[in-house]
Amino acid sequence: MAHARGFEIAAADLDSVARRLEALEEAIRPLALTLTPDREPATLFRADLENE
Amino acid sequence: MTIREAASALRERRLSSVELARHALERIERLNPKLNAFITLTAESALERARLADAELAAGRDRGPLHGIPIAHKDLFYTRGVRTTGGSKVYERFVPDYDAYVVEKLDAAGAVSLGKLNMHELAFGITSGNPHFGPVRNPWNPEHIPGGSSGGSAAAVASEMVFAATASDTGGSIRIPASLCGTVGLKPTYGRVSRFGTLPLAFSLDHMGPLARTVRDAALVLNAIAGYDPRDPASAERPVEDFVPEAGCAVRGLRMGVPEAFFFERLDPEVESAVRAAVERAETLGATIRIVRLPDMAALNALGQVIQLSEVAAVVEPHTGNRAQFGADVLALVDQGRLLPATDYINAQRLRRQYQLEFRRIWGEVDCLMTPTTPIPAPPIGASSVCVGGRDEEVRPTLTRLVRGFNFLGLPALSIPCGQTARGLPIGLQLAGPPFQESRILRVGAALEADSGSGPPL
Repeated sequence: MAHARGFEIAAADLDSVARRLEALEEAIRPLALTLTPDREPATLFRADLENE
Repeated sequence: MTIREAASALRERRLSSVELARHALERIERLNPKLNAFITLTAESALERARLADAELAAGRDRGPLHGIPIAHKDLFYTRGVRTTGGSKVYERFVPDYDAYVVEKLDAAGAVSLGKLNMHELAFGITSGNPHFGPVRNPWNPEHIPGGSSGGSAAAVASEMVFAATASDTGGSIRIPASLCGTVGLKPTYGRVSRFGTLPLAFSLDHMGPLARTVRDAALVLNAIAGYDPRDPASAERPVEDFVPEAGCAVRGLRMGVPEAFFFERLDPEVESAVRAAVERAETLGATIRIVRLPDMAALNALGQVIQLSEVAAVVEPHTGNRAQFGADVLALVDQGRLLPATDYINAQRLRRQYQLEFRRIWGEVDCLMTPTTPIPAPPIGASSVCVGGRDEEVRPTLTRLVRGFNFLGLPALSIPCGQTARGLPIGLQLAGPPFQESRILRVGAALEADSGSGPPL
């Protein structure tokens, strides 16, 4: 994935990144299986917002 | 001296704001070479503001308890005309042309800013071992880290350079340094304090709050900076109350939750003993102690990390072409964030809402949670691992283990000092409460706050 996106990451660093991501994904992916389709993300967007 | 004591002295003409500012500047001149808490000192403008504060008080214009009080800002709050680096190479020449909301409010309250405080690079770390501006050192033992990312804020407050400092918390960055430096640190509810005019780390996790010497001083700062701000899309339209606990406030009748599982596992024995003593003290003062079981906090931590890594990577993406301008630890985390799939981020945000609902049950059972802030006291500078409960662990996940969950849930959480190790390093007690119940945890904190005694041996 890193190579496909053209990231300049050394192979050794990439191994370390991959190990950490695998551990994270192992922790969160089973939880995601419990989600029902109606559960919305906790991000924020309001169409009426005028903050710019 | 506390803010309240200094405020009385100012009004009784026993002290002037200029004297307070001069004293603070002398202390900074003496101690900053050792602690490296400041990146930028604004001595001239501070003295000018102090003179103005004195003139206003003499003319009968009183802006409130922060009028004429020396403070400083973490170097990610925009300050008009004053460099705001975020502790980074990326922003080393960034001079904002407007003030952050928090800076505006503290200026309006009459506080006198002495400058900008050192921090972990981009606020993305917990050691404040900054590769560009040098490491911040712990006032209690300069060979140890102050915690981070608001390490300069905590070091400046603990060493009495300033009465209070602004700080931010995206995964524990207010409470960790508060715990490690023996100060009070308050992470308010998400939305309580505007993020407008701050360098973002992770939009949906960034909280702004104060570090101070006492709970009441932290509450005084919160009084000044809390409130709705339409320029922050996450700002909450909640009424702002007086957050300062009343004199002689009590915990009698309050239900204090003690989450034995997770929060009392793998602790340094001295930390455990100090926090358990604080729980006993709460019981002695009339609180009811209840052992509670919380949702899976390890899972919350993992989800919080996914959100943080993804959002930070998005913020930093335009600068990743020049990898040499980042410290190695920050770069490794940015790389992780750039490679996380979008589905993981979105599902983490969906699970966040689910856990928020699960946590509501807890607030039906208890009024407040009591836990250690960090499982260990301040590790030595440069340590990458620590031994906790007979096991070697990396410093970063150890220090964030007990604080990240409340950040992920946006709940108010306070760290107060609750003792010291035999080697003289501070220990922190964490109090967390339901959303927008800052008053409650501040009241509990004030009731449990011990006389801090003498400061660091500087």
